[in-house]
Amino acid sequence: MELLLLVVVFLPLLTAIGIKIISKFLNELLLNFITINSALLSFATASGMFVLLFINKYEPINLKFFTWITNPEILFEFTLDGLSGVMMLLVTGLSVVIQVFSTSYMSKDEHYAKYFVYFNVFVFSMLLLVMSGNFLVMFFGWELVGLSSYLLISFWSKKQTAAKAGNKAFILNRIGDFGFLIGLMLTLNTFGTFNYDKVFSKVLEGNIDNLTVIVICFIIGAFGKSAQFPLFSWLPDAMEGPTPASALIHAATMVTAGVFMLVRISPILQFSETGKLIVIVTGLLTALIAAFSAINQDDIKKVLAYSTISQLGFMFIAIGSGAYVAAIFHLVTHAFFKALLFLGAGAVIHEMHHEQNIHKMGNLKSKMPITATTMGIGTLAISGIPPLAGFWSKDEILASTFANGGFYYIFWALSLLAAFMTAFYMGRHWLLIFHKDSGNDISDIHEAPKAMVRPLLILGVFSVFIGFINTPFFHGLEKVLHETLHYVEITHLPEGITLIVLAFVSIGAGFTGLVLAYLVYVVEIFSYFKFKIPFKDEILALSANTLYLNKVGDIIFVKGMKSLTRKTAVLIDGLMIDGLVNKISTLFYSSSQKISTSQNGLIRSYVVYFGFFMLLLIGLFIATPLVVN
Amino acid sequence: MIEVSTDWYLTLAAILFSIGFLGMMIRKNALIMFMCIELMLNSVNLTFIAASRHFGTIEGQISVFFVLVVASAEVVVGLAIIVSIFKKQSSASVDLLRTIRG
Repeated sequence: MELLLLVVVFLPLLTAIGIKIISKFLNELLLNFITINSALLSFATASGMFVLLFINKYEPINLKFFTWITNPEILFEFTLDGLSGVMMLLVTGLSVVIQVFSTSYMSKDEHYAKYFVYFNVFVFSMLLLVMSGNFLVMFFGWELVGLSSYLLISFWSKKQTAAKAGNKAFILNRIGDFGFLIGLMLTLNTFGTFNYDKVFSKVLEGNIDNLTVIVICFIIGAFGKSAQFPLFSWLPDAMEGPTPASALIHAATMVTAGVFMLVRISPILQFSETGKLIVIVTGLLTALIAAFSAINQDDIKKVLAYSTISQLGFMFIAIGSGAYVAAIFHLVTHAFFKALLFLGAGAVIHEMHHEQNIHKMGNLKSKMPITATTMGIGTLAISGIPPLAGFWSKDEILASTFANGGFYYIFWALSLLAAFMTAFYMGRHWLLIFHKDSGNDISDIHEAPKAMVRPLLILGVFSVFIGFINTPFFHGLEKVLHETLHYVEITHLPEGITLIVLAFVSIGAGFTGLVLAYLVYVVEIFSYFKFKIPFKDEILALSANTLYLNKVGDIIFVKGMKSLTRKTAVLIDGLMIDGLVNKISTLFYSSSQKISTSQNGLIRSYVVYFGFFMLLLIGLFIATPLVVN
Repeated sequence: MIEVSTDWYLTLAAILFSIGFLGMMIRKNALIMFMCIELMLNSVNLTFIAASRHFGTIEGQISVFFVLVVASAEVVVGLAIIVSIFKKQSSASVDLLRTIRG
């Protein structure tokens, strides 16, 4: 029975290899048939396994595939528990929906088959990551998702920007992976094993000296993969890739791998207060910076990219305040509504003939009603309007932060600010695209084709209802994750009236944000007042340029590195090493020039030398007393 | 009556050798230089014989025969070379053969 896990994980890989081999003989229709049926089969198997897990009361199912390394014994093993089960369903399910969308979006692309090869490789890598049974297999998947992300970002590699964006994502991820790798080495050194259960039980047994160091290393890994401050600038650039790929990789699944990993190591993380504090402060900082930056972006996808970073920040806030269930809950709901928003954006881009500037759109709801409605649902969901998905998860995060008390009240207030900004920029996004009449010619715009609209509808339905899997009245997800987190201390929601007040406050924040967006961008309220916001242009420029963090990074790291290497090249290599070598060679050259004049070709002078040295020799013989034995 | 001792022979050999060497140094005609070499070889022969007589041994005389054989072989090869040089530059001057100067 456990062997079915292999089907779930390796079917996408087999599909990728199969498509790659026979792609020459496939037309688009046949290729769609193969890849979508394979995805469906993978999803069906995953669902079956999840039902099995449910029957077994979420008792983990372990599969020891083969022994990878014998000493120390490291197995290539998989584990299916509540956590990986949820992720498995999410990945395979979204893979089906997004592949259906892709068949239409990528249609007529010259590298159609290549796209689906990469896509399936990504799904395989992600499944390997989430269903890994030890840290090393997780790292395997971790690196592979990085690779497939790189391949898909620079998919249109003829475009210079796309190729560069791929490089940037890969390099910035490498910084995080470095932390992860150090964490892995420390783990093996400290615990002598990579297996999750063994490591966690050893942590629970007693004091581990360098626990905080290990935790911080893993946290750095998570920051890189999940685009947290200061390693987030690759994600907005990653929007150069095909939009459906962005939806799956850079919104729903891969970027949440960091969150998944931190929840996975939560038995270790819970003992490190420093680690938790780092996570929550960084999460908060990221949520605020990204939300602020999203306010003045013009690119339809960049708004969503910053929004993703900001929402990932929320998940890290949840982890930092000990609400691991809330983090996974937000991960799930976010996956649905963000995938919906991305696919909606993809449909708009497709119909706008690859125009991505939101100021060149406007009033599209008259032409694309279904896209507008579904994206509207996504916008409301992310803004935290009940009863849509985002409300339940975001409210749980905010309430859990509040429940910690102490200076976590400040964190709560700042998170609330980020939530308010989320509603504001998402409201602006939707209104500028679909509602406000910007006077652009949209007469030749039509509703997207069926293969695009249907995935939007499916995701729209999920974005409405997925929130009900874990409400204060029904702790569904908590039960699923219970077995995984049973020796982890989880922050519980406040009781009774506090919870209701908190819920109303967060609804208020979301609602105010949306209304304000309407007032500012549609009614244009500022044009009625004489009042001018001080430093308005500066603030807007700051937002559009992400606080100039890219420039700062450019100056400090890129330019600094360049000038350092240039100095090294000139001083050490040029002057010292080259100078020394050149000095020696010129010494030999000039001295040999001088000496070679003695070789003048005249036999007479050779005879003179010969005579001179012979006289010298004779003189020496005379001067040296004879040695008589 | 002055007795002709071994020293006289050695002195003569040294004078002959010096004349030969001096000739090598100052003359540029290949033939003359060749003769100078012969002169030096013969001065050495003289030394050998003088030493042989002085010590009453025969090794010196044997060496002289070797030197004579080598010298005659050298004359054969050397004269051929000088003739071909003369043919090439219509002069036996060795100063014109300076192609290997540094």
